[in-house]
Amino acid sequence: MGNNKYKILIVEDDSSIAGFVQTVLETGGYQVLTAGRCGQGLLVFTSHTPDLVVLDLGLPDMDGAEFIRRVRRDSAVPIIVLSARSDEIDKVAALDAGANDYITKPFGTAELLARIRAALRISRAPDRAGCFQADGLVIDYDRRQVSVEGRPVHLTQTEYNILSLLSLHTGKVMTYASIIRSIWGSLDDGSVKKLQVNMANIRKKLGCRPGDNRYVVNELGVGYRMLDE
Amino acid sequence: MKRNKRPLWDGLFTAVTLVGAFGVNLLLMERFSTRTMVPTIFVLGVFLVSWRTQGYFWGIAASLISVLAVNYAFTFPYWAFDLISPECIASAVVMLIVASLTGTLTTKLKRQEQMKAEAETERMRGNLLRAVSHDLRTPLTSIYGACSAIVENGDRIPREKQQKMLADVCADAQWLVRMVENLLSVTRVDAGQMELAKQDTVLEELVDAVLVKFHKHYPAQNVEAELPEEFVSVPMDPMLIQQVLMNLLENAVFHAQGMQHLWLRVTVRENQAVFTVEDDGCGIQEERLPRLFTGLLDRESPADSGRSGMGIGLAVCSAIIRAHGGQIRAWNRPEGGAAFRFTLAIEEETHGEQQI
Repeated sequence: MGNNKYKILIVEDDSSIAGFVQTVLETGGYQVLTAGRCGQGLLVFTSHTPDLVVLDLGLPDMDGAEFIRRVRRDSAVPIIVLSARSDEIDKVAALDAGANDYITKPFGTAELLARIRAALRISRAPDRAGCFQADGLVIDYDRRQVSVEGRPVHLTQTEYNILSLLSLHTGKVMTYASIIRSIWGSLDDGSVKKLQVNMANIRKKLGCRPGDNRYVVNELGVGYRMLDE
Repeated sequence: MKRNKRPLWDGLFTAVTLVGAFGVNLLLMERFSTRTMVPTIFVLGVFLVSWRTQGYFWGIAASLISVLAVNYAFTFPYWAFDLISPECIASAVVMLIVASLTGTLTTKLKRQEQMKAEAETERMRGNLLRAVSHDLRTPLTSIYGACSAIVENGDRIPREKQQKMLADVCADAQWLVRMVENLLSVTRVDAGQMELAKQDTVLEELVDAVLVKFHKHYPAQNVEAELPEEFVSVPMDPMLIQQVLMNLLENAVFHAQGMQHLWLRVTVRENQAVFTVEDDGCGIQEERLPRLFTGLLDRESPADSGRSGMGIGLAVCSAIIRAHGGQIRAWNRPEGGAAFRFTLAIEEETHGEQQI
């Protein structure tokens, strides 16, 4: 087999969900590995080094966040988490542990494929020297300048730092905590609000309107995600 | 918080009542120079105390204090204690009986009221469950029917027909997803206020998330959003409030026949965020308005209209808003169409805003 297909590992204990995801991914041109338990998943992970992991959060043998931490010890492979709506806290924990993205169950195939494409794109281009460009937004990292549709946007130091941080992790959901740690160093009571106020200013300056946020998606109660298409 | 303040309030009430009784007695004595009223007034005081305070403690304390007061100030020898007289002991016994009987009665009454409230919640939950099971059966029947038809006779059904059936299955499954999300919210809210994952949520981000989600499901329907210019942050469970707004917008899509415009407005009034969802569709029949949020709708209408789920959606909205300590109401706009409005409190936050 001429194997230049992306390898995706699905860790999911429910066989009908695993089966349907596998079918969808194989039809989408990916090579699929499956595991029903975290332990087995780690084994498959080390022996087959997949390009992406789809991880169900509710597995019986190990906490999902623990699985992610173990994978993250020596791998930057993108991890997409499948979570039920009721375990929002686990979702944040998984993202903080290093997951790239989450999809809430139940999900459609189009959504799943789009997220996988986005996650693979990030890991393919780790060094994005010079400029970031997406849908009219340009961030010039060397000159620390931002423009929308060719029109320069004047951001404060902090606003620029937040926007460039998000752009360096395009497609990845950045939790409030992780952004705050990178920008201000430490977390305290008012810092989420501080971040939200800065984000509101960034949105205003980029000319985004509610329902028409072209660049930064609000993941309610979780964090922000920069779009790349 | 309320519970901590209760003993303080009870003690204060007891003190005020007894001092009042004492004062009234002194006044009456001066006016009519007779002491026949004294025990009656104190009994009234003890009754008031045992009625308005919690448990037996304050009533019994009040009766003992009253006995001492009567003994000290209003019986011979005046302004001195004479605790061993049979008169004193008898009046003490009477006061104690009044206190304990009143206490027992009020406790019983309070318990009855509580039971009534619990029964009411139980009844509402039962209604909701009945409505839900009814509403779940319709799409499940069509999903099951379509799937089993394709599995069993797949080769005999033409391909386009199969595609159509599968598309219907998809739509029904999506409807079930929304229903289950609503049910999840209800169980979370019903489990008590503790379960609300309240966090400061930026209005703009909330509305943005709602609109993005709404456009994904209903790309053809435009929503005109209006919200305050300034940065407003409201403490809420964002997932639940998002669901309320989604339910209200979806209701308009499903039920507001002839709708041209759909508005989502948020304003800030005093210490409240006011959310209004308005449409210019057919409005709501007046006779349904009073029961709109009870989950008891549409039972009298033809059974096959059970796909709507409007009753449950609104009952869920109401439960969520009540758990947030807010209010929700609906009315028909004079210019046509329906309007739904709910409020959420904005807590004062003066600290932390300056140093940004």
